[in-house]
Amino acid sequence: MFRFLFILVLLFPAGCRQPSTAKPADRPVGVVDTIHYAHGFFIVRYPGYRDVGIIDRRAGRADTLHFLLVEQGVAPPADRSGLPVIVTPVKSMVVLSSMHVAMAEFAGVADRITGLGSIQYVYSPIVRAGIRAGKVKQVGIDAGINNEAVISLHPDLVLTMSNPQAGAGAYKTLADAGIPVIPDADWLETSPLGRAEWVRLWGALVDKDAMVNKKFDSLVQSYQRLAAIGSQASPKPTVITDMPFKGTWYVPAGESFMAQFLRDAGADYHWSDTKGTGSLPLSFEAVAPIALKADFWLNQGLVDSRADVGAKDSRFASFKSFQTGNLYNYNRRINDLGSNDYWESGSMHPDLILADLIRILHPGLLPQDSLYCYKQLK
Amino acid sequence: MNCSIRKLSLTGLLLLLVLACVLDISAGAVRIPLHDIFRILFSRAPAADASWSFIVDKIRLPKAITAILAGCGLSVGGLQMQTLFRNPLADPGVLGITAGASLGVAAVMLTGGSMTTIYAIKELGPSGSWLIACAACVGAGMAMLLVLVLSGRLRDNVMMLIIGLMIGSVTLALISIWQYFSNPDEVKDYLLWTFGSLGGVTGKQLSILGLIVGVGLIAAWLSSKMLDALLLGENYARSMGLTVRRARTIIVCTTSLLAGVITAFCGPIGFIGIAVPHLARLCFNTSSHRILIPACCLIGAILLLLCDCISQWPGTQAVLPINIITSLVGAPLVILLLVRRRNLSINAYR
Amino acid sequence: MSSPLLYAKNLSTGYHSGGRKIVVSAGLPELEIDRGRMICLLGANGSGKSTLLRTLAGLQPALGGTVAVGGATHLSPADLARRISLVLTDRVVGTNLDVYSLVVLGRYPWSGWLGGLDAADRSAVGRAMDAAGIMDLQHRKVHTLSDGESQKVMLARALAQDTPLLMLDEPTAHLDLPSRIRLMRLLHTLTREMNKGILLSTHELDLALQVADELWLLQSGGVLHKGAPEDMVLEGAFEAAFAGEDVVFDRATGVFRIHPEGGPAIRLEGDGTLAFWTRRALQREGFTVIREETADRVVRIIEEKSAPRWVLETAGASRSYTSIGALLRELK
Repeated sequence: MFRFLFILVLLFPAGCRQPSTAKPADRPVGVVDTIHYAHGFFIVRYPGYRDVGIIDRRAGRADTLHFLLVEQGVAPPADRSGLPVIVTPVKSMVVLSSMHVAMAEFAGVADRITGLGSIQYVYSPIVRAGIRAGKVKQVGIDAGINNEAVISLHPDLVLTMSNPQAGAGAYKTLADAGIPVIPDADWLETSPLGRAEWVRLWGALVDKDAMVNKKFDSLVQSYQRLAAIGSQASPKPTVITDMPFKGTWYVPAGESFMAQFLRDAGADYHWSDTKGTGSLPLSFEAVAPIALKADFWLNQGLVDSRADVGAKDSRFASFKSFQTGNLYNYNRRINDLGSNDYWESGSMHPDLILADLIRILHPGLLPQDSLYCYKQLK
Repeated sequence: MNCSIRKLSLTGLLLLLVLACVLDISAGAVRIPLHDIFRILFSRAPAADASWSFIVDKIRLPKAITAILAGCGLSVGGLQMQTLFRNPLADPGVLGITAGASLGVAAVMLTGGSMTTIYAIKELGPSGSWLIACAACVGAGMAMLLVLVLSGRLRDNVMMLIIGLMIGSVTLALISIWQYFSNPDEVKDYLLWTFGSLGGVTGKQLSILGLIVGVGLIAAWLSSKMLDALLLGENYARSMGLTVRRARTIIVCTTSLLAGVITAFCGPIGFIGIAVPHLARLCFNTSSHRILIPACCLIGAILLLLCDCISQWPGTQAVLPINIITSLVGAPLVILLLVRRRNLSINAYR
Repeated sequence: MSSPLLYAKNLSTGYHSGGRKIVVSAGLPELEIDRGRMICLLGANGSGKSTLLRTLAGLQPALGGTVAVGGATHLSPADLARRISLVLTDRVVGTNLDVYSLVVLGRYPWSGWLGGLDAADRSAVGRAMDAAGIMDLQHRKVHTLSDGESQKVMLARALAQDTPLLMLDEPTAHLDLPSRIRLMRLLHTLTREMNKGILLSTHELDLALQVADELWLLQSGGVLHKGAPEDMVLEGAFEAAFAGEDVVFDRATGVFRIHPEGGPAIRLEGDGTLAFWTRRALQREGFTVIREETADRVVRIIEEKSAPRWVLETAGASRSYTSIGALLRELK
């Protein structure tokens, strides 16, 4: 089911931080962008500028960080002084997570990235070319960020993946230097589409709202079409995911992305009804009865072949999925440096991941095509 | 003179060991009736539920055996270190062996992000958890080699203790730097390894662990006369005809072997090495290593089995890391001992 | 004649530190220890007594010269341990060690592969404990022993090692006077009854003078005088050894004087025990006690029946006192 969030409600808490000098009544009424799946941000359009709010939903606080996206050549609204102003379209930016790279690609502005948290883990060919050409610099993340490197890049914007709750925190120096720092908390979303929907924020940042929103809407359509096929499929094969490490098996909890993917792909996932958005730390033997009989085993992690899986632990040879060869891992798209595109464009294309899963779990249900991120371990 | 008391202690501990074994094998996330467990263990007959045989044979039994091996090895290693350094707080960790093993594991896990490294090492043979075990062994061995080379230049065990601690802290600093620059997923994997685990050793790995721990324990027992002589300090030991440097080499090697291989397969497990030797001295009221070494084995095995039972607290699906449990159980135990029997430890350092 | 238990020639002692040799004593004279001889090694703190003892015992290598034990040089540690046993100043604190187990450790050079004892070992342990008089201590834990008991236990351990030569490093330190005397007497007995050679370092000059067959007097700088105790006293070896320092060896009494001479002269008339103690008291008060008639003050001791009197004569005046204390109060 779709979860609609009526952003208007959120405008009231947003008022909390307004400077008391201005009378809200004087301001023209903003138009709120419709956001279907993400809970962590909103965009309100006013003539000449946009008000972006980053909400710390998890902390349950009505504490919202506001940023004003002011169109180039337009004076910032006088009644909202004191808020960080970002002049749009943003021309250069420093991003700290793989997801940001994928969203930049999606919005067609990957070439505007001038700084990266770590240049080691990038898949995007555009950004890799930028790195080779020396146009993209490594700046480090969180406490390890090299403030001087960031400042010397003179970016229009820094996108971090910190918790909005953390506020400026590690990035206070940058904010003090006049560089807007937006905590892009997409990773706090609880559904694949919710996470990908943060790309709408990118549309606003680079003044490509229409194109990005249209592209995202078609992504959503495609996902929903697939989910309708997948969730109706029967029989539903049993599935286990991930790999136990040193006796503990971290399995995705019922409210996590992965559990959502599995439900939408028409899998019988044992922990589908559990609480929590993260993973459950279970003992090997708690998972063993399920794992022994499961039809499919997905997401083994850092392994590349069936033999690798067997070498991790000889007990895996007793699993039905191991014997039948139904082992699928998300490592089809790994470049020579070891960056896995599953974490990059995979996060931005939940429709492709879902298609992969349906093709794996229900062969024949979709037209024959090669998998995007997944690969059978042989 | 204390023979009857010793026999009583021995019988009691053996009984306790059997009990702890049964308890450990019967405890777990999946409830399996005791008679089914015995049927699986002894008659090989199919159990009521097919997955039960798998759980008992492939999960619980290897884990219990690992607990016994690790319990024996770590406590005997601790005993050797306490005697060699005449310090009640010594354990296999003081030589920097554990830290060395950690460095080896960190090297594999934290550089592992670039898959190329892993593939490169894989070409050489080891893969999967073997890779981690081998890396830990190499790391422990290198730390041991360094300590040995340095100890050849020293006459004093206390100097060696200090050098071991220094090597340990340098190693940990290196690991911290590595962690700092690694991606969070790998750091998480590494942290999980540092929690220690008995459940990851099966099949061939278990045979190798058993073999090496067995060799180490026999070597330790054969060196018990040397250890006795070292009780009086190096000068007296030398005056009684002990070649102190050679004895030190043998003891350091044995301990490194035991602690290195256990750390390699199970991750760092704390406190067993410190607490068990004190318990053994208390139970058997002796300082003779011929008796203390088997006593340490018994008590170490029992303690680690019980810790493992606690780590899979009945009724929960999760399992707590063993290193947390040993610290939680071990620390109060040592405090209790110090309070009740001050002489055990305070005097050893006077 | 068989070779001595220990013989050292041209010995230099010291240690290596940071690649450099630190010499403590160099060019020592020939040293020899025979069966049945008790030798006391004397010397001030820092004169190198312990270093010499440890070098002779093979605990540390000599910087020069040779040490032959029973005629042989370069013995293996095990062979050496069957010829020389030691009692050191190191504190033994073994966790949970009881006295019996500690004495048994003395059998280390003789016992089996795992330290198992045979009948001969057991009887040697019994004899050692008996000789050291610690039979009643055998079940005690080592850390509960007093200093005196502990010293005897360590001696018993050395005796259990059953070596012809026994070396002790300051065995009388930390002991009270009666314990010191008992220990010295015990060691002396061992040389006579068990025909052992004993070398011990000590600061107890008076005890050493009484029990030693030979004294080795080590001066800081590495000069070593040796000889029978009485010869050494008469030769003035002790005065020479401590010359220049602010301590004085009194050859007449064989003790070091605490109070330096040089105060006003006083003449003492009298003999025997009373004169001895009066002299001590006067010296303590800083007087130089003389026999000649040149002093202007005279103390005369008069023994009347059982009650002695002290008469002080100064410039014609004469007063009488009934105790040394009263005499000293007047003199102050």
